[in-house]
Amino acid sequence: MSSDQDHLKQTDTEDRFDFKKEEKSAFRSEKGLNEETIRAISEDKDEPEWMLERRLRALEQYHAMPMPTDWPGQPDLSEIDVDEIVPYIRPDVDTRGGVDDWTELPDEIKDTFDKLGIPEAEKNALSGVGAQYESEVVYQNMQERWEEKGVVFCNMDEAVREHEELVREHFMTTCVPPSDNKFAALHGAVWSGGSFVYVPEDTTVDMPVQAYFRMNSEGMGQFEHTLIIAEENSEVHYIEGCSAPKYSAFNLHSGGVEVFVGEDAHVQYSTVQNWSKNTYNLNTKRALAEKGGRMEWISGSMGSKATMLYPSTILKGRGASDNHITIAFAGEGQNIDTGAKVYHNAPNTKSTIESKSISKDGGRTNYRGLVHIADGAEDSSTAVECDALMFDNESTSDTMPYMEINESKVDVAHEATVGKIGDEDVFYLQSRGLDDDDAKQMIVSGFIEPITEELPIEYAVELNRLVELEMEGSLG
Amino acid sequence: MSTQVPLSISEDTIHTISEERGEPEWLLERRLEAFRALEELDLPDVIQTPGRRWTNLEDLAFEEFVDPLDQRDETERVTAEGAEVLPFTDALDEHEELVRERFGSVVDPETNYLTALSAALFTTGTVIHVPDGVDAEDVKIRAEMNSGSLFSHTLVVAGSNASATILERVSNGEDTPADGDDRRYFSNVVEVATDENSYVQYGSLQNLDEDVYTYSLKRGDAARYATISWIEGNLGSRLTRSDIETELDGDSSETKIVGAFFGHDDQHFDVNARVWHNGEHTTADLVTRGVLDDEARSVYEGVQDVGREAWDTSSYQRENTLMLSDESEADASPKLIIHNHDTEASHSATVGQVDREDLFYMTSRSIPPRTARNMLVEGFFVPVLEEVEVDELRDDIQELIAQRLD
Repeated sequence: MSSDQDHLKQTDTEDRFDFKKEEKSAFRSEKGLNEETIRAISEDKDEPEWMLERRLRALEQYHAMPMPTDWPGQPDLSEIDVDEIVPYIRPDVDTRGGVDDWTELPDEIKDTFDKLGIPEAEKNALSGVGAQYESEVVYQNMQERWEEKGVVFCNMDEAVREHEELVREHFMTTCVPPSDNKFAALHGAVWSGGSFVYVPEDTTVDMPVQAYFRMNSEGMGQFEHTLIIAEENSEVHYIEGCSAPKYSAFNLHSGGVEVFVGEDAHVQYSTVQNWSKNTYNLNTKRALAEKGGRMEWISGSMGSKATMLYPSTILKGRGASDNHITIAFAGEGQNIDTGAKVYHNAPNTKSTIESKSISKDGGRTNYRGLVHIADGAEDSSTAVECDALMFDNESTSDTMPYMEINESKVDVAHEATVGKIGDEDVFYLQSRGLDDDDAKQMIVSGFIEPITEELPIEYAVELNRLVELEMEGSLG
Repeated sequence: MSTQVPLSISEDTIHTISEERGEPEWLLERRLEAFRALEELDLPDVIQTPGRRWTNLEDLAFEEFVDPLDQRDETERVTAEGAEVLPFTDALDEHEELVRERFGSVVDPETNYLTALSAALFTTGTVIHVPDGVDAEDVKIRAEMNSGSLFSHTLVVAGSNASATILERVSNGEDTPADGDDRRYFSNVVEVATDENSYVQYGSLQNLDEDVYTYSLKRGDAARYATISWIEGNLGSRLTRSDIETELDGDSSETKIVGAFFGHDDQHFDVNARVWHNGEHTTADLVTRGVLDDEARSVYEGVQDVGREAWDTSSYQRENTLMLSDESEADASPKLIIHNHDTEASHSATVGQVDREDLFYMTSRSIPPRTARNMLVEGFFVPVLEEVEVDELRDDIQELIAQRLD
């Protein structure tokens, strides 16, 4: 590739992924986290009483719980000052019910999404976009035939009002209770925005449902909540992506994702995240899979200062299965601590975890995972595979799997490898006319292919571009 | 959270132990330092996952069954030509300077609560000194524990170009403790210090009675071109916490840690293998195989830590557990910590049952099912047994496994 092209590629990607909009907000809750803040958020959203009660209970739990500090080798969270993070901001547009058409969106919001390539994605066979600008979903495009089938895809705030009973039953109850960890409790208290997806029995949503999140307000946190309910024998693929501009103030992202996989249902949840380098990304994502249900987590974690994210699946019913495919990329000053958790609580359950990580320029990646096979979960099997690629001697790559096996009729395997890019591979490509950077780029693209091939094309392209951007100018 | 100092132990106890053995002043001082540190020290780290502590060391109520002034053992030592294999007290008489220099140099007495307790109270142990250039083959230590509690400290010093194969066996003698207490405690600390280009293989077979709680920490520092090879067989005891560690400080040093355990009834094995790659061109190979029957439980942690300056590191780890019973439990956590990219490292862990097809194959050739299963279990240990250079140790382990299967 010529240097001209290199230059073009660089400006194109940098321009696409790193820009800052002047923020305009209608509602900004007072800094600091107290009962009043929570009441103000809830009131502003016209929430029912039970939701306010849940928020307040979560707040209590948040104050009562300790910061996670005793995990071996975990990222340093001491710089997080929750009181300094504005928990809730609504963009200055009237988006209470969202809009039905792209053109109705305010120019500046459209512009933001243009740069992120969302409209292209829209053209590329997207069936619906729920895009979160700051903390609210401002745009949604639902295909009528979905509605006819009873499929619901709306923002979470709306779901609390429109689908009260469903939300009341499933929202932070059996899947991710606020008591799960300190940041789940924080999330339960200040959550705002996010998506609600409901797929009725025997229904297949044959197009990926997508949502795009942005953080665009200095010192504010995002606490979006995603709730997916897939009834018996249904199928849905939900995609979420992130790309945040760089800021100097600290940002905290603490989202929550809950997935209910009904009997014989199949849910795939894919996400490509690229938080800015000053964001703490501390999420809780969990799925409950009933008999024969199948859950798939596909995730690419890029960016952020520190990430702690362990999507987990609880295989409740006989024959349920789970696949995890994850990729993490840590560059300078980044600490990406991510992995997977799977509980086999029923017979004939099956899980596979495939994790890839790349660390460079002093970045640290860690795979931290737990596989638990309960007594009685006979004929279960799990296979975990972690591969790590390191670029230099300043970087760190760790693997910390935990396996708890209480059942003998099982098949458990974990393997991990760590190494540097093979000199021989680079030499081979160079001898065929590629320069050093392109050779390494190609090897990395090949290394992450198991992830990219699972994503729709525009996401795969984006992920590859993000990796390119991370590697540019710093190789060789 | 630090641990309570057993009420039955005071500084007077330490003075008594040291005086009875006629120890020099400096050793008494070190014992007292370790004793004073007890209040500040914690028990060895135990893996914790949500809602689960993998081993509960806190439940060991030492004051109930540790009597430091009643420690009795019967230890037989077989030396090799050119090397010295001495009881600790004799070594103090003959090589005071060497012991003074090396005691506690590999295992800091203040590593944790249990190592400090050992340094304060040990009354038995062996010093093995292999001078430069000496080949010492078939050094043997047979230790029999004859009291309610016993603390042993072994020090191996290998000179440059020296080599040694050492076999240690730990079991209980005929004497049961006078008060008939049904719980006993055996503490075994082993340190191996090496000089350039030396080779030490330290094999250990622990077959204590099944009412004994045992803690063992074995650590070696590998100098330039040195190799330290550990073999660790655990079959006995009620609860075993066993840590085997090698610091690969010297360039081009190597280590091998080979472990085998076989648990039955309600035995609990907490087995740990750890390697630190600090020098350049170092190699580590960790192989552990274990079998669990009845309600036995095993916990395994293996750590491969590659330091910032450890260029050209190779590090491999494999752990396999075979479950013979549905009531057994196996937890495993192999960990890789890599700070240098010039590394080739891998780890793997598996848990499973005896392969049904293998069983079917053998039964279809008229081997009774039970015999077939036993043959497969014995076969499962072969990769570990192949690493054992001392015939006697290999035969012993095989024999004990066969006995347990009957």
